[in-house]
Amino acid sequence: MIRPIKAIVLRNLIKLSRDKMRLFFTLFMSGLFLFIFSFVTRSAVAGLEHPMNYLISGIVIMTVFQTSLNNSMNILEDISNGFMKEILVAPVTRWQIAIGQVISSMIVAVFQGIIIVLLGLFMGLKIDLIHGVTMAFLMCLVGLTFSSLGLYLATVAKESTNFQLVITIVSFPLTFLSGAYIPTMAIPKILAPVIYLNPLTYTTSAFRYIALHMENVPVADLVKAGIAFNVNGFIIMPLMSTLLIIVMGIIFFTLCVNRFNKADFSRVKVFRHGHR
Amino acid sequence: MITNSIEVSNFTKKFGSFTAVDNISFNVEEGTIFAFLGPNGAGKSTTINTLCTIHDKTDGELRINGNDVTRQKDKVRNDIGIVFQESTLDGKLTVEENLKLHCDFYKVPKSEVKQRIDFVLELVDIVNWRKAPVNSLSGGMKRRAEIARGLVHFPKVLFLDEPTTGLDPQTRANVWDYIHKLQKQKNITIFLTTHYMEEAEICNKVAVIDHGKIVAHDTPYNLKKKFTSTTMKLKTSRQDSLQNYLDNSSIKYKPDNEQIVVYAPDVEKVLEIISCFKESIEDIEINKGTLNDVFIAITGKEIRE
Repeated sequence: MIRPIKAIVLRNLIKLSRDKMRLFFTLFMSGLFLFIFSFVTRSAVAGLEHPMNYLISGIVIMTVFQTSLNNSMNILEDISNGFMKEILVAPVTRWQIAIGQVISSMIVAVFQGIIIVLLGLFMGLKIDLIHGVTMAFLMCLVGLTFSSLGLYLATVAKESTNFQLVITIVSFPLTFLSGAYIPTMAIPKILAPVIYLNPLTYTTSAFRYIALHMENVPVADLVKAGIAFNVNGFIIMPLMSTLLIIVMGIIFFTLCVNRFNKADFSRVKVFRHGHR
Repeated sequence: MITNSIEVSNFTKKFGSFTAVDNISFNVEEGTIFAFLGPNGAGKSTTINTLCTIHDKTDGELRINGNDVTRQKDKVRNDIGIVFQESTLDGKLTVEENLKLHCDFYKVPKSEVKQRIDFVLELVDIVNWRKAPVNSLSGGMKRRAEIARGLVHFPKVLFLDEPTTGLDPQTRANVWDYIHKLQKQKNITIFLTTHYMEEAEICNKVAVIDHGKIVAHDTPYNLKKKFTSTTMKLKTSRQDSLQNYLDNSSIKYKPDNEQIVVYAPDVEKVLEIISCFKESIEDIEINKGTLNDVFIAITGKEIRE
């Protein structure tokens, strides 16, 4: 049961490692994000205790989020170059395919997140090993959640141009209403429900909680810093946030496997070889 | 005892209001080569795709080695190998990686993987290209790699959807060598679709399909016997008496410049005419009917290419 999943994961990683251009841009974009956003938003975080930790944690989570969402494009490539057919007629179940895709896209996303963390260490990010491990765990969680969402969207979109559009539509509001770049307190109250429904909000806050070493900070201050949330008197603490991400991850994954089971990939246009 | 590898009865497939395959039935015996012959859009690929569990049928019953293709998909998938019309290899991986991946999907015992890959690469003669990325291969090489992959899990039934389309004649001949080699070595059943008549000739059974219906189904020999005549072009100094002779024995013919084209119903008649006119025959050309003639006789049109 595990063998086909492992095979798919391995294949996707081999493919990425061969794609020098993509590999380069993956790393380059991470670096670019890091530099640009740390300059742009530096003023916004002035006065915080760990400004670099605050910024970099936001950037890391955004990168993991974006990468996992985008990586689901792989499946569209497989559909358009015909390889999907090979998988579909193999004695492999659809959920195995879906899990393989999600895991490989998560691995790439987490890898990219870790690179940013490493780069960040040179720019003033201060974390110890335990924090690092917890952050990696959270990154995996985020990676799984959004790879599932990405795969779901990919099977709905079925075409790479559509998919790009859908991704933009989905990721733009999620990104800017999550507190990653713009603190949630700075966002108009009217958008509060969107913020609370946004899985990225909890991801960012839980991640920052760790990155900013806030274990000993009083609840009131956590709420003030946008790490904990006061929803009509109910306080969502970072641990609760983590649980929420897990729940959302499960929902997205179920949706994606379910959708994948029903999708009719045979009707998708494929490239034909030969001259006819 | 004859066992059937493929059993299809009253199979219908509709896409919306369009009927791609219309109530067809046929069986394929184990260890034989069976060809679906028909123009593009006749319903060949639809039938293959349904047998391969990609499409669901609209109606009817389809079985491979006794397993129902809709209800026992996994068993069916384990038993079959498919070479699609279009390339379905992963272009960024090497030939070997593609084959390994396939072995993982089909649960080939890990200890056998290497040995099997060696075997199939040998069979299609691309051992030297095993480390080459698929995208760097020529069309013919890709096709061979594709066939190798379809075989590496030792399927009991092999589906070939237009296996030689787009290949040069030399490679086509090679591909056919492999198919025969394979069939002998492994006694597998081969189901193929083609619109090349020469390819259908070498199959054990041929079904002619047009507009989603099977219009004829027999051995190539019987089909030709039933639907075609032997054409004989004769040039003789006694044209008139030949024409008289043909009229009297009511054999169809057509004068063509100095020659007469005779449509002989069987070999006896051919020999009879030759022996009667052997002193006066200046030139002779005899052509057996081809499957193309069969196709024209049955459907009233040339196969569309």
